[in-house]
Amino acid sequence: MKKFLNGLKKYFAEFGTSVARGDIWTRLSLVIMGAGYAGRGQLVKGILMTLVECGFFAFTALFSWPYMAKLGTLGTVQREEVFDPLTMTKTVNDYDNSLLILLGGVIGILVIFAFLLLWISNMKTVYRIQTMKENGEHINSLREDLRTLINDRFHVTLLTLPSLGVLIINIIPILFMICIAFTNYDMNHQPPTYLFTWVGLANFKALFTSTTTITFGYVFARVLVWTLIWAVLATFTTYIGGILLAKFINNEKTIGKKVWRTLFIITIAIPQFVTLLLISKMFGDYGIVNGLCSKIGLTGFLQDIGLVSKGLSYIPFLSKPGWAHVMIILINIWVGVPYQMLIATGILMNIPNDQLESARIDGASEFQIFWKITMPYMLFITGPSLITSVIANINNFNVIYLLTNSYVTTNMAYANSNAKEVDLLITWLFTLTNDYSNFKMASVIGIVTFIICAVITLLSYTRMISGNKEEEFQ
Amino acid sequence: MKKTVKLIIRHVVLALLAFIWLIPIIWLVVTSLSANKSIDTTHFFPEHWSLDNYAQLFFRPDTAANFPAWFKNSMIIGIACCIISTMFVLMVSYAFSCMRFRSRKALMSFSIILGMFPGVLSMIAIYFVLKLFGLSDSIAGLIIVYSAGSGLGYLICKGFFDTISVSLRESAKLEGASEFTIFTRIIIPLSKPIIVYTVINSFLNPWMDFVMARLMIKSKSPADWTVAIGLFNLLQRNLIGSYFSVFCAGGVIVAIPISVLFVIMQKFYVEGITGGAVKG
Repeated sequence: MKKFLNGLKKYFAEFGTSVARGDIWTRLSLVIMGAGYAGRGQLVKGILMTLVECGFFAFTALFSWPYMAKLGTLGTVQREEVFDPLTMTKTVNDYDNSLLILLGGVIGILVIFAFLLLWISNMKTVYRIQTMKENGEHINSLREDLRTLINDRFHVTLLTLPSLGVLIINIIPILFMICIAFTNYDMNHQPPTYLFTWVGLANFKALFTSTTTITFGYVFARVLVWTLIWAVLATFTTYIGGILLAKFINNEKTIGKKVWRTLFIITIAIPQFVTLLLISKMFGDYGIVNGLCSKIGLTGFLQDIGLVSKGLSYIPFLSKPGWAHVMIILINIWVGVPYQMLIATGILMNIPNDQLESARIDGASEFQIFWKITMPYMLFITGPSLITSVIANINNFNVIYLLTNSYVTTNMAYANSNAKEVDLLITWLFTLTNDYSNFKMASVIGIVTFIICAVITLLSYTRMISGNKEEEFQ
Repeated sequence: MKKTVKLIIRHVVLALLAFIWLIPIIWLVVTSLSANKSIDTTHFFPEHWSLDNYAQLFFRPDTAANFPAWFKNSMIIGIACCIISTMFVLMVSYAFSCMRFRSRKALMSFSIILGMFPGVLSMIAIYFVLKLFGLSDSIAGLIIVYSAGSGLGYLICKGFFDTISVSLRESAKLEGASEFTIFTRIIIPLSKPIIVYTVINSFLNPWMDFVMARLMIKSKSPADWTVAIGLFNLLQRNLIGSYFSVFCAGGVIVAIPISVLFVIMQKFYVEGITGGAVKG
């Protein structure tokens, strides 16, 4: 944190020096950004810089300012249609669209922010050129400047396009959705017909209240607990299962290792939306598994011991809480184990053989070797990816959504908040937006999910980035 | 004697496991060959066999199932994403792995933080952003959605680049090569496994994804859909009765090219993941 503040201080101090010590050309660059280059003979660069500046002002004045001006209220004029009986046409008033205002506003602010950064760094560059000129150093021509773009400053060339993509696909949408969490954008406030506006922290409050009408607090706590249980169980069952399967297949006594491995890998190769939808149909209330179970009398047996209520003629594999939770975890083992097996195979092959052999000579049993050598080695290597897969499972949309596509909740509290007993935060969020247009609550849930993931990741990742492991192998 | 028994038990257990894992796949294949269009809840194997589902899939597109169009759309998206994503990933990885510049660490931390936001959260907003640019509901829009953010997935590839000996780059520099030359002439030829991994992964991504396409494509005309949306739609309550085995046939057709790619990728996959995981 201190380092960050110092960096910030230095950043502005340099800018201050540039303005204070700059000559007429440098100071002129405060207003006309290209002046500093033009005055030192870099005419083309100067013109380009000035064009960028003009472009920015034109963009802000013509496109984003109208939106930004209304950002405080998100629009005041509601859409009204007036039917004119004389001309038989509908006229629509000049209405405000809250959604566009918010989106345009966010983009406008980002552009201003980017321009400020460019403006400050421009001043510094101009000042540097001034001092170079004063010291009689060589000033790059345009051609030479362009050459640095494939050499010393190649990273600029490389990162520009990908950063632009990330800006459009990740940064703008995330900022936008964070803003939505503080508005009342829901089914009753949908642009363009209606306006929505800022409501402060009301949505966050709603997430933690539970009354008879608002059940978000009640549901949120339960969905959160199930999300965490799911993430941990799903990660560890597939992890352990994958390692055991890999060990089993790679044992020297197994004949035809490759064939076995391929058999399991086929299941990864089929897209999840096909296999999961198929499995959800197999285990459906009137699906083939239920057909077989009632034929062999399993349904009746489970009714007798009380696992299936008497009123049902089928086993509710994916349609009742409890049953569905267990089934989801089991089916996830089916989905995840081959994948983990594939990874574990690669790592197991690299375990230093001398360790295993010396352990065997010392009389360690297979079981001891597994727990004392194989597992620590595996954990050492896959530790970071284990954390990543817990995060990935918190956000595991496919398995839950595709399996419980036809699940209908009977709990009124859940139904009130448009959730189901088997929902993860992420599927709940999706249902809220896609089916119920409840964007405000979805955003709040999204932010909460982010915080959970961030906390888990920060505890582990900071070590990974800050550790200077990356140059170890170069 | 005891050894033989053990050996047999080992293989029986393996066979049993493989059987469990393959049941849904077998069901998929046999149902796709069924003459009965709806779900058969009493028989695992169909009573009457027929290839009609495949014929219907390819030659008789109707208002609900237009597989040739879906396949074409998914193919275009897959190939475009494959090219753009691979380029982005390689470019970002080279910049972060082989070059040293001032804001490098900050950018890397920032990208990891960005990756922690749940994708589903920003999906709706992405839809609005693309709508603002007039790109929603189009194949170009989907290509942007799948590939524009791909620069963030550089970790595994960067891990691979980190293992390429630095002396190679240094000696090239002494000979007067620019960074661009080093990137295209030294690093890329040395990174074949990771490039194959990235290419296949980014090609498969749009084939496997379902949520994003569902949100982005609001068009009601089946000709505009991708394979994932189209097949999902066949299982809606009003269609499942007459299209279930067609869905299975579609699943088989999609799975074949992907399986082939997977078998090719298997080796690289393991190398890529483990390599990337160790060196983060």
